[in-house]
Amino acid sequence: MAPVAVDTTQQQPLSVNDIAPKKLQYLPNRAFVLRETKCFVYEERPVPDLPSNKHVIVAIKATGLCGSDIHYWQHGEIGQFKVSQPLVLGHESAGVVWQCGPAVKSLQPGDMVALEPGIPCRSCSYCKEGRYNLCPDVKFAATPPHDGTLTTYYTVPEDFCYKLPSSISLEEGALLEPLSVAVHCAKLAGISYGNSVLVLGAGPIGLLCCSVARAFGAAEVVAVDIVPSRLDFARQYAATKVYRMEGLLPEENASSILSGTRKSEGFDVVIDATGAQSCISTGIHALRRGGKFVQAGLGASEITFPVAQLCSKEGVYIGSFRYSAGDYDTAVKLIEQGSVVVKDMITHSYSFDEAEKAFQNVVQRQGIKTIIRGVGV
Amino acid sequence: MTSTTNPSFILRAVKDVVLGDIPKPQIEGAHDVIVKVGQTGICGSDVHYWQRGRIGDFVLNSPIVLGHESSGTVVEIGAAVKNLRVGDKVAIEPGVPCRHCEYCRSGSYNLCPDTVFAATPPHNGTLSRFYKTASDYCYPLPEHMTLEDGALCEPVAVAVQICKVGNVKAGQKVVVFGCGPIGLLVQSVAKAYGAKVVIGIDISQSRLELASSVLKCADGVFSPPSLPKKPDGTAYSIDEESEHSAKVAQIIKDNFMLGEGPEVVIDATGAQSCIQTGVNLTKKGGTYVQAGMGRENVVFPITTACIRDLTIRGSIRYTAGVYPQAVDLVASGKIQPQKLVTHRFRFEEAEQAFETVRRGGEDVLKVMIEGVRD
Repeated sequence: MAPVAVDTTQQQPLSVNDIAPKKLQYLPNRAFVLRETKCFVYEERPVPDLPSNKHVIVAIKATGLCGSDIHYWQHGEIGQFKVSQPLVLGHESAGVVWQCGPAVKSLQPGDMVALEPGIPCRSCSYCKEGRYNLCPDVKFAATPPHDGTLTTYYTVPEDFCYKLPSSISLEEGALLEPLSVAVHCAKLAGISYGNSVLVLGAGPIGLLCCSVARAFGAAEVVAVDIVPSRLDFARQYAATKVYRMEGLLPEENASSILSGTRKSEGFDVVIDATGAQSCISTGIHALRRGGKFVQAGLGASEITFPVAQLCSKEGVYIGSFRYSAGDYDTAVKLIEQGSVVVKDMITHSYSFDEAEKAFQNVVQRQGIKTIIRGVGV
Repeated sequence: MTSTTNPSFILRAVKDVVLGDIPKPQIEGAHDVIVKVGQTGICGSDVHYWQRGRIGDFVLNSPIVLGHESSGTVVEIGAAVKNLRVGDKVAIEPGVPCRHCEYCRSGSYNLCPDTVFAATPPHNGTLSRFYKTASDYCYPLPEHMTLEDGALCEPVAVAVQICKVGNVKAGQKVVVFGCGPIGLLVQSVAKAYGAKVVIGIDISQSRLELASSVLKCADGVFSPPSLPKKPDGTAYSIDEESEHSAKVAQIIKDNFMLGEGPEVVIDATGAQSCIQTGVNLTKKGGTYVQAGMGRENVVFPITTACIRDLTIRGSIRYTAGVYPQAVDLVASGKIQPQKLVTHRFRFEEAEQAFETVRRGGEDVLKVMIEGVRD
């Protein structure tokens, strides 16, 4: 599917000279706020202060939308997290460093960076073990009560900013967040050279999982979906083969996938990026003995699961949540090397003033990735 | 000494220590705590800074307070501290890392280059009346645990880390070279983890007895035979020494019926002959852990390591979860580090305590310095 450009006012990537402030001048800090379920307003808020010596202020230039942003907008809650007061959404962002705290060493104003949106406490046992994605006190952008990135300015600690390779635009930089999710899945799955990988779901996460799997050396990556246009994209993007899920029993779908890809044994790795019971079941049936199944997608909180299959195959079922140490670094390197290309996944781009249209675009399941540009872009 | 002063044992320059006074620390960050230091054990590194003024890249350029193996009582806490209350007895983990670098974020905070480590220049150590640190690096001690045991949690934590690095598991055969405090504690931890056989190696009979009869942390002990002096007084060649080390490894295997060899070998000596023997001794596919520090460079049986598919790992300080486990091992009585203590001194006698460790000898194992008495 060819990318559909919608309503862009600026085509060229911003150069450092265009955006590096000659002296520190702040625009008003506009915010796109979810006041309550299904109700957005624009507000002007104070320019944030630097919370610590090691923080920077980033001028946000591009924000991708995720299913969770849509869900908070439409339902006002996800699980135990409820929008009980106005909340700024957005967490998949890239921007330009505007101001650096006095202890910041690796960044300077004008640097183009991707933001890692979840800041852990750094002192609990999960953080100390290197699994900071599991920190119970993480401050995650756009997870209540913490505001997200759909503002002019946003503060981030230095070590949660990643300099963008000069070869990509700030809009592509916003894709580093979902790419890091995909990297985390691929690492948990232990994907290595020569593996066969089945990815269920050809939305942004599924597609990026296909791409990362190829980058990690997988010999075969099969993408599964029910939407033909998504499969068309997957085929020319990163999948070696695609399969359209039929209305069959999971074991029948699995059998069909395996015979279609000429496998007698199952896939070394299966990644589910749908959260749908039928897909998860199909994936378990298509898993090789001793294989690894990574659950990336979130759907129903309880499902019917072919546990006997998992047991007798001695399969490993792994939950995957966000990203942790080294994932963003790997994501940046993959983009730098050209092993993963995210440009064609950006199908829609809206100005900050049309942010609600962007949300509507996504809830109508249009395109692949929709971006909201920063204030003034 | 009133409670507004902060008497401290200070290393001013090489071989120049003095009892002085430094400012009492103040709570600055919301997660700071101030501990009134109760007990401090002395480590070889403290003595080394005193005598040589440097360890590797860490050079004494200005006076520092010594000591890093401590426990104490919490006297003040920052506004955000939740895990401790004033009055709690705590074991103090002496190195607080930066929490921001890639090592810290990936779970290897023992490798953080910006760690603030007590008594590693330029940072002050714990031999003061009061010491300030981060609340998540202090671990409450259960009621029945003494402050002395609390301070001994530091070398126990070192031993726990070594066993973690070596992946010591139930049912394994483990050989530990060295029956000093670390070697003995490694043997104790290995036993607590359910190792089937633990063998302690040392050249000192009294140390071997500590292992087999006092701490009872070794199932068997052994003093390796050394090469006899040559009649003409010349030294043995490198090859002759290496060959001898390989022979000693076979003797150990045979003596203790270790079959193919121990799955894990730990060296807590740093001595070349032990390192050579240890590598030769390790079962094919097994793990050898270098815990002891001696010469920076040694003659190492690298081909043996290669063809036997050995995993050779270094172990330094402690990582996540290790200190709490050390406290638990001591609190439960599974490890009894107080049996290592041979000398106890009052705070004012600190220099004498250091002198005792410096002169060493078979009668000196673990020397403790009490905190400042009010």
